[in-house]
Amino acid sequence: MELKICHMYPDVLNLYGDGGNIISLSRRLRWRGIGAEITKLPIGSSASLADFDLVFIGGGQDFEQQVLLEDLHRGKDREIRAAIADGLPFLTICGGYQMLGHYYETYDGKRCDFIGALDLYTKGSQRRMIGNYAFRCGEEAGGSVVVGFENHSGKTWLGRGVQPLGRVLAGFGNNGEDGTEGVHYKNVFGSYSHGPMLPKNPAFCDRLLSVALERKYGRCELEPLDDAAEIAAHDEMCARLGV
Amino acid sequence: MKLKVILAILLGRAVRLVSRLVHRGGTDMPGRLALKLCPELLSVLAKDVKSVAITGTNGKTTSARMIEQAFSDLGLNYMANRSGANLISGVTTEFLMNATLSGRPRKDYAVIECDEAAAAGVFRQLKPRVVVVTNLFRDQLDRYGEVTHTLSNIRRALRDVPEAVLCLNADCSLTASLAGDLPNRIAWYGVNEGAVPSRPVPELSDATHCIRCQTAYEYRYVTYGHLGGFRCPKCGYARPTPDYAVTAVTAQRADGSELVLDARGQSYEARVNLPALYNVYNAAGAVAAVSEMGFAPEHAIRALASFRCGFGRMEQFGLGRAGARMMLVKNPAGCDQVLEFLQEIREPFVLVACLNDRAADGRDISWIWDAHFELLSQLGRRLERIVVSGDRAADLAVRVKYAGVPAERIREQRDYEALVRELENEELPIFLMPTYTAMLELRQAVIRKVGGSEFWE
Repeated sequence: MELKICHMYPDVLNLYGDGGNIISLSRRLRWRGIGAEITKLPIGSSASLADFDLVFIGGGQDFEQQVLLEDLHRGKDREIRAAIADGLPFLTICGGYQMLGHYYETYDGKRCDFIGALDLYTKGSQRRMIGNYAFRCGEEAGGSVVVGFENHSGKTWLGRGVQPLGRVLAGFGNNGEDGTEGVHYKNVFGSYSHGPMLPKNPAFCDRLLSVALERKYGRCELEPLDDAAEIAAHDEMCARLGV
Repeated sequence: MKLKVILAILLGRAVRLVSRLVHRGGTDMPGRLALKLCPELLSVLAKDVKSVAITGTNGKTTSARMIEQAFSDLGLNYMANRSGANLISGVTTEFLMNATLSGRPRKDYAVIECDEAAAAGVFRQLKPRVVVVTNLFRDQLDRYGEVTHTLSNIRRALRDVPEAVLCLNADCSLTASLAGDLPNRIAWYGVNEGAVPSRPVPELSDATHCIRCQTAYEYRYVTYGHLGGFRCPKCGYARPTPDYAVTAVTAQRADGSELVLDARGQSYEARVNLPALYNVYNAAGAVAAVSEMGFAPEHAIRALASFRCGFGRMEQFGLGRAGARMMLVKNPAGCDQVLEFLQEIREPFVLVACLNDRAADGRDISWIWDAHFELLSQLGRRLERIVVSGDRAADLAVRVKYAGVPAERIREQRDYEALVRELENEELPIFLMPTYTAMLELRQAVIRKVGGSEFWE
């Protein structure tokens, strides 16, 4: 068995440790004797998303956003929409998550059109939502408690067509108002947990791997791993946040 | 005004006196309170002092120590904010402790390192003669925001000092872009092609696209991180030719480097008293700064061989049978340089890594996933063990696990006193790699056991 994992835009969407998610995915596959092939898809490259089993998109700096949007609007937007409709699993973080929505509207009212693959939009606010946080995934996303670090001024609002990834236990989540965090639609998981989400949340990482493996190979039972170190780090943050 | 200045100085001095009585540094608070009373105090105190200011992401303290050594060798009457208090409060503390009660300076020169985010406030009042900008790397995101944000902070700070000579790192496309819209005279420094073996352009770079036109850069060579011979194929923005260039690094050892440095056309051989490539850059910047202050480059070159940095920057302690070195890490670029340095160690050793997430460290520890801890797994048996410590020891343990370090070589010890007791009997060389606030505490524990100087000394 093997998963072909696509890391989209590692050259511009790589803010603060996002690569840790790729490390986590590939290690946890290889520890179980499952192959992991990582392909980086930087700006300007043309590969077909249909060739992959899992796609990761990280968060980025505002500075590169224009470069990114130009590249998306050269056809990758259509491809991403098609892949999502086809059930390809995605993990998208922060900027990469916002980008799948309809648009981003800055605090002073400038609107930037995104790719509209998911029914959500983001509006800039003056207050930065920043800090360690925790949320509980919905049942369909495995139900585990995820801890991470969020750092965003955009407030994301979900439309009727999508589910939140989870409910905030401590911190802000999508917008600091409605208690939702992230998005879950088909096999797309989006989150503000820009602090490398997967290493410290092995249950969620395995959930993502299962979704991808099941889609490719049918039924899939993941062999349990010794997660003592991961769970210790996870639980320590839960205790600190009081959840 | 005059009365306010005197009162502010008196207040600052009194606060310092109390701080020292209770065995605190008092390197920040005196200035902070004095500025409340007299917000323009620093400009009054700094008016007749010839200052060099150093800012940038990495290398501020080391560069300052190199410049300071040259000033000391020259017999200059100078002050320096040696303690690392590099916000306007800390800088003001240094000046008020070095002034008469009426606000006249007791020193002719100052070597001032300055936090990137605080530069705008400090430079406006300090009016430095020479400013060194070392480099720009991604740093504590929660504190500074994106790297381009830091860049605009520095640009804003420099707008207030059009008379200052700017010593800029020519190899850093972000830093070099500062020259574009400023009237200042620029002295470029850098490491030339061929001086060190070129590396591939890193996957994780803080500057992949042209700061002016957003086209992907092309590189003739890379020294480390995004530093090197960059060029934008579209708008032509490219690495400027340095006035102070390292043309060859002839030796890189665990105790230092040897290099050839070209200063405005004259070639010098130099020995740098600290290892690792980033200190080669710091050396070039220091030579540029001392020269631009009007002294012959020889003075700076000599200082490079004799300066001592201390305070967690490759600082040595008599801990364990083979000694210990402390190497402060604050961000992925600095951490990678330390991990690269460890590759050069030929004998087995013990590594202690301490990760805190307090305000001064940055609350967000995600950066540990950007640093190449994978280099540790290449050490094989040379890494006898790694001890993880600090408030976020558990996260560090996960990071090194995923980096491929075998579980039996990873230990956790959060109690610094107990840690130092264990290390006291260690046969192997010890390397201590703490973040900033962890460094302060660990250093205290080490000093209590084996001696060393307080941080403000």
